[in-house]
Amino acid sequence: MEQVENVLERPKLYYNIDGVGELGIGFMLLAYALLGWLQLHSSPNSAWNQMYGFFLYCGVMVAIIHFGSKAIKNRITYWRTGFVDYRPRDKYWIPLGLGLAVSTVFSVGLYVAMLRHSEMSLLVPLAGVAIAACYVRFTKQARWKWSTFGAMALSVLVIAALPTEVAEAFANHRDLTPVLTAKVVGAYGLMFAVYGALFMISGGISFWLYLRHTQPAAQEVE
Amino acid sequence: MNPQIRMIADLDRAIHEPGRLMIVTLLSAVDRADFLYLLHETGINKGTLSSHISRLEEAGYVEVEKTYRGKVPQTLLRLTADGRKAFEKYRRKLKESL
Repeated sequence: MEQVENVLERPKLYYNIDGVGELGIGFMLLAYALLGWLQLHSSPNSAWNQMYGFFLYCGVMVAIIHFGSKAIKNRITYWRTGFVDYRPRDKYWIPLGLGLAVSTVFSVGLYVAMLRHSEMSLLVPLAGVAIAACYVRFTKQARWKWSTFGAMALSVLVIAALPTEVAEAFANHRDLTPVLTAKVVGAYGLMFAVYGALFMISGGISFWLYLRHTQPAAQEVE
Repeated sequence: MNPQIRMIADLDRAIHEPGRLMIVTLLSAVDRADFLYLLHETGINKGTLSSHISRLEEAGYVEVEKTYRGKVPQTLLRLTADGRKAFEKYRRKLKESL
């Protein structure tokens, strides 16, 4: 019975067989880190700090992830290891529900913390641990991915131990609010950048291994 | 006969064969998948996979659609509503009988 349950999990893991899932997440985290850096290092009146600039940037980022993933799947993956179309529940509703739940918890947490003037820097390692915990899902695919998880856990410690000056430099020494200080914002930016890079490296290795270990199928699929 | 043993004897034979069980289990987790995906995931050879699919199609559990990806023929497979019901029933019975 347990074997049947394990087989049921396989199609979901198949989405990242070529590392596309990790590459997408990595790209998104790096793009957010870059946006944060651009916003903090440009004048408040620049396009980066306008709402339209934010939406335009996010639109381009989402389009690159969506169409980039689709292109890799259509041109490489489906020819090598087959095509899978997921159920609407798995494709839209569950990710949408999870996204909404996470952003709601994050927003409420941030609001409460700001009201109470809590020490926000404590939330940075917590967020890091949460992202690393999400990565555990990918470790089901290959054991070597545990080393990426280890690197993520280590980077939480490194970022927490960084001199304040380094984190503040990322944030251009600019406090956003009395609670969201340059140190906190900088630490978040660094965490996004480091995690993004780790996801990209892990996804890149997965993609390379996938190409190495699979061959395009014969022209006749059946 | 012991009811638990009776339950094992009542398991749907169209699904119970290991190869077909793999196919139905994989298809139950997706909307549709192609022949190449099942070939890759199950490790069954083409001929055997084809015959299992035909058996499931005869039982009304799998819908087969012949199409093209570009100029290359592609066989898409989907579990029918009856197939999903039968698989859920099979899982339930298997769980109860073990």
